[in-house]
Amino acid sequence: MARSNIQPRKIQSMIQRYGLAVFSVAIALESALFLARHNFQGVEFPLFLFAMALTAWYQGTGPAILALLLSSVAFNYYFTEPLHTFYVTRSEVPYYVMFILFASLVTWFSAVRRRVELELLGARDELQAEVIERTQQASLLDLTHDTIFVRDMGNSITYWNRGAQELYGWTPGQAIGARSYDLLRTVFPVPLEDIHAELLRTGRWEGELKRTRSDGATIAVSSRWSLRRDENERPAAILETNNDISDQKRREEEIRGLNAELAKWSAELQAANKELEAFAYSVSHDLRAPLRHMAGFAELLQKKASSVLDDKSQRYMTMILESAKRMGDLIDDLLAFSRMGRVEAQMTIVDLDQLVKEVVGEVRQGSEGREIVWRIDSLPTCCGDRSMLRIVLVNLVSNAIKFTRQRARAEIEIGRAEGSEHEAVVFVRDNGAGFDMKYVDKLFGVFQRLHHADAFEGTGIGLATVQRIIYRHGGKVRAEGVVDQGATFYFSVPKA
Amino acid sequence: MENLGRILMVEDDPKDVELTMTALEGHNLANEVIVTRDGEEALDYLYRRGKYTTRSSDHPAVILLDLKLPKIDGLEVLRQVKSDVNLMMIPVVVLTSSHEEKDLVTSYKLGVNAYVVKPVDFHEFVNAIKELGVFWAIINAAPPGSVRK
Repeated sequence: MARSNIQPRKIQSMIQRYGLAVFSVAIALESALFLARHNFQGVEFPLFLFAMALTAWYQGTGPAILALLLSSVAFNYYFTEPLHTFYVTRSEVPYYVMFILFASLVTWFSAVRRRVELELLGARDELQAEVIERTQQASLLDLTHDTIFVRDMGNSITYWNRGAQELYGWTPGQAIGARSYDLLRTVFPVPLEDIHAELLRTGRWEGELKRTRSDGATIAVSSRWSLRRDENERPAAILETNNDISDQKRREEEIRGLNAELAKWSAELQAANKELEAFAYSVSHDLRAPLRHMAGFAELLQKKASSVLDDKSQRYMTMILESAKRMGDLIDDLLAFSRMGRVEAQMTIVDLDQLVKEVVGEVRQGSEGREIVWRIDSLPTCCGDRSMLRIVLVNLVSNAIKFTRQRARAEIEIGRAEGSEHEAVVFVRDNGAGFDMKYVDKLFGVFQRLHHADAFEGTGIGLATVQRIIYRHGGKVRAEGVVDQGATFYFSVPKA
Repeated sequence: MENLGRILMVEDDPKDVELTMTALEGHNLANEVIVTRDGEEALDYLYRRGKYTTRSSDHPAVILLDLKLPKIDGLEVLRQVKSDVNLMMIPVVVLTSSHEEKDLVTSYKLGVNAYVVKPVDFHEFVNAIKELGVFWAIINAAPPGSVRK
């Protein structure tokens, strides 16, 4: 299909080219004959030459040769003796040779001129196209916000886009021709020789530079250099693109500062923690010792002097002993509470069923002789520190036993409640003394007690410890209660 | 009470010494009690150095060791006793005010035979001493080298 299309077009162009040869020679012949009839002699020669030159000019050498042949034949036929024959006499041969040489010369000149002109035209068009393209490219470079400029190997700026003007403040008029390092007062991170060595080796360089803008402000830029080489592979120019990273640098600096501060705080915290540990250790040794002595010698005194002491004095002795014991308990509980905050949690999978069984078995030993109905549901496994969760359960179950003491028949229930997808919620419920919901916020505070010391013993640290442990597990504690009807304590821990 | 072993008490606080002695006497545990007031003196006694150069060569039946001591602390005394082949057989009871788990764990790692936190309540204290005294000084077979009177 394509072939059959191309073929006629070729033939058409052939006819056009050679047709001009025939046509121009025909016109030249007609004109010469017309002028000859009006007694203008000798014009046929230049006319035929003109026809050939015309053909050569517009259609090239092939048609020009055809025009030459046709002209020679027509000249022979119409203008040399004997007329209207193709007979060539010997004396005419030099004449023809002259004609052909002359015509060839004209044709050759004409063809060469034509070719040169066509080449010139082509070159002009190419040049124009290139100018248009370059102009477009340059304006495109101007459109970008990135800073782009070009400098030659002598470091003089040869191109400066709008981004460069925006970043550094100099117009292209001010910048072009200036030496870039002087203009921008560039501070390099490494010696310039190293940068140039890398640029020559790889054709690229990337790094951070410090520069000064026209208003005197110093800025940090990330800079990328590309080396352009000429056709002889000699370095010709360096194209540099810059981005202002001053803000980024400032933020990095800020972050570094914050990190340093954080590290300092962390160190201080660690030091404080160590101090606290030392303090707690000291408390546990040194504070307990005098207490033990007080209690011990008071008791010895009580034993030795019981016969001489009256009832009141005996009571004072008892109160001294009780107070010493209470202070001992407070110190112990407070230390245990503080230890909860310091000891690292060892997270494992904990079977709450098993743990509750252990805890209930342990704490019910102190409640022999009482009627307690236990209801224990199946409990989930969770993720936590087993010994800490054990303390939670011991506290809650002991509380349940303690606060149901006045019930003839105590009921204690341990079960699971609805929680979110990732947490297991466990509750411990009793039918004991309960509490007023008004004071629910005080329940989990250190040394907070909602009952009088003579009603229920205790230091007021158990629930604070429970809360601290559960918080350390990322869980929550809450309580519900009604005075004289009982209380329910809920805690949540991450599911296994 | 003829066959009670000698007790080495390492305790810097004289009040604690007196209370412990009273508790032992009160329960008729009339053992001979040697009191050393710091870790260095305790080691001097055990190795028969310094003022103990001339003591008889028998080992105490039990060492009651406080942890918080001047000069050389209780854990160090324990470490030295338990790493000496001649002394390691002597039962050591750590008797301390501390509830610190760290001390407890370290003591057991070093090979302590018992660890007792001195209770504030005198009765409990007396009971603890009594049990220890009875167990280590009387019922328990003393290690070779310790003399029973």
